[in-house]
Amino acid sequence: MKLKRINTSEIIWLIGIIIMILIILFPIFVMFKYSISDRASVVTGGKPIPLWPYHPTIEQFKTLVTTDRFISAALCSIEVALTSVIISLIIGTPAAYALVRYRFPGIMVLATLLISVRLFPDIVSVVPVVEIFIKLRLINTKIGVALAHSLLSIPYVIFIAMGVFETIPKDLDEQAQIMGASKLYSFVRVILPVALPGLAAAAIYVFLLSWDEFIFAYFILAFGNLSTLPVMLQKILSWTPQHNLLAAISVMLSIPVIIFTFIVQKYMRAGATAGAVK
Amino acid sequence: MFKKIKILSYFFKKNLFAILILTPAVIYLVGFLLIILFKVVELSLTHITPKAPLFPSVYNFIELSKNPEFKEAFFRTILFTFIGTPLELLIGMVAAFLLAREFIARGIIRSLFILPLAIPSIVTAIILYIMFDYPGGHINNILMGNHSFFPFKVISYPINWRGSGFFAILVSIFGKVWRDMPISMLIILAGLQSIEKDQYEAAQTMGAGAMQTFIKITLPLLTPAISTLLILRSIEMWKEFIFPFILAGSYPLLATLIERAYHEWRDPYEASTIALILLVLIIISTILIFYLLKWLKKRLVKI
Repeated sequence: MKLKRINTSEIIWLIGIIIMILIILFPIFVMFKYSISDRASVVTGGKPIPLWPYHPTIEQFKTLVTTDRFISAALCSIEVALTSVIISLIIGTPAAYALVRYRFPGIMVLATLLISVRLFPDIVSVVPVVEIFIKLRLINTKIGVALAHSLLSIPYVIFIAMGVFETIPKDLDEQAQIMGASKLYSFVRVILPVALPGLAAAAIYVFLLSWDEFIFAYFILAFGNLSTLPVMLQKILSWTPQHNLLAAISVMLSIPVIIFTFIVQKYMRAGATAGAVK
Repeated sequence: MFKKIKILSYFFKKNLFAILILTPAVIYLVGFLLIILFKVVELSLTHITPKAPLFPSVYNFIELSKNPEFKEAFFRTILFTFIGTPLELLIGMVAAFLLAREFIARGIIRSLFILPLAIPSIVTAIILYIMFDYPGGHINNILMGNHSFFPFKVISYPINWRGSGFFAILVSIFGKVWRDMPISMLIILAGLQSIEKDQYEAAQTMGAGAMQTFIKITLPLLTPAISTLLILRSIEMWKEFIFPFILAGSYPLLATLIERAYHEWRDPYEASTIALILLVLIIISTILIFYLLKWLKKRLVKI
């Protein structure tokens, strides 16, 4: 009797797992399937679209990597992402160090305030930001997008870097200072090198955030010639392109994210679950 | 007086380095935020007349309250948030409970469950755009029983998913929940892992059944995780842009109405007004949820 009950609960569990996996994998499968579909498997003329293309092909990718439009969008994405990584690390890391090492009244309030800036809805801030950027002539520029992206990513950098600096013993900077190093010197030459691996995770996180950010990039680049990859996807959506081309760009856009997400998963988990356990 | 200045100057001297390296971040984040807030309020209270801009004026708000498009967007946003937030909580909980027990290849399944987080939102939206295409998308094909592995004819005519307000919102909710499920799952999972095994064992020795253990132990101890999740996810739901923008283009929510006001009506003032209303809505809803959860906790958790 008891054995049977365990079995039913286990069967329900197994069915649950299978359904979840199917729901999670089906859209991803569809994306990859479309990206390697030949024309006949997409434009079927009334017949249902096959679950596996009649003639799998990498034609789309070949066309993409020779299309100027795609290359310039990809380069623009990379440039914007790298710029925002540099800006947000330069501004965020020292702040995180100060927030961890110095304990004066109100500093935790300040830390919470700085980190919770990320809760401010981006769709609310996008119109004022664009209006300001128009006046500053930052509209339709890469640096404009990078500045907006660092606004989003600095809170994350502060959060991740605070975690990194907390793991470094305080003795280390004290010893450096006893030996005569200035505070700046001990931070730059002693602490930063130790913190580098953790900060690399922050850098990857910022890169990804900028790489797939859409709202700011779209509003800032909407009417110009420049576009990042997500903006390019949206722009070509308006002239009803073939689905396999859309899927191929989607794959190119996702692959770096998928790879790096699993590298920095440990840190992302910490970021996503912050505050959940008290 | 003199002493105070002395203490203050000592404080500055001691913490000079910290203040110096904190300043850029504070200026960048807080400064930007203040400018944004100021600008939203300023723009929303400005009324452009042929002669000169009128400030302050509630013209934009009055104009907006007459606009049927705004009302529709408002109710769609309510629908989106009120269906989406609980759904995300529910799916996250289901996923977390599925992963909570020990089994072979748990790590792999766990990574698989996190996979949606690694797909950019815009890509998820595009995939759903393709899948829910009309008339020949995959979902329509499957529901019409065109495939041999699922020979049931659920619908006899293909559904125009993007052409109906209800279905468009539904598909957007699906996309949002699919994409963000891992976040809620991880939060719940962290909450589950913080529950001590002893408590379950104690309950078991006292003869509690599975249902009782769940209601009396797991749920109350999960409340911190659930509270965090509800507050954070409801904010995300209110401000969601990408999914409704791609999947429900003709049926704007408040967030997508901002885009329409800005790009199609060419009216940054009206756009800012909508943005301000959305911001106030988010703040009110967050406070409400916060106090509701506090009240519920008092009622439910008796220690």
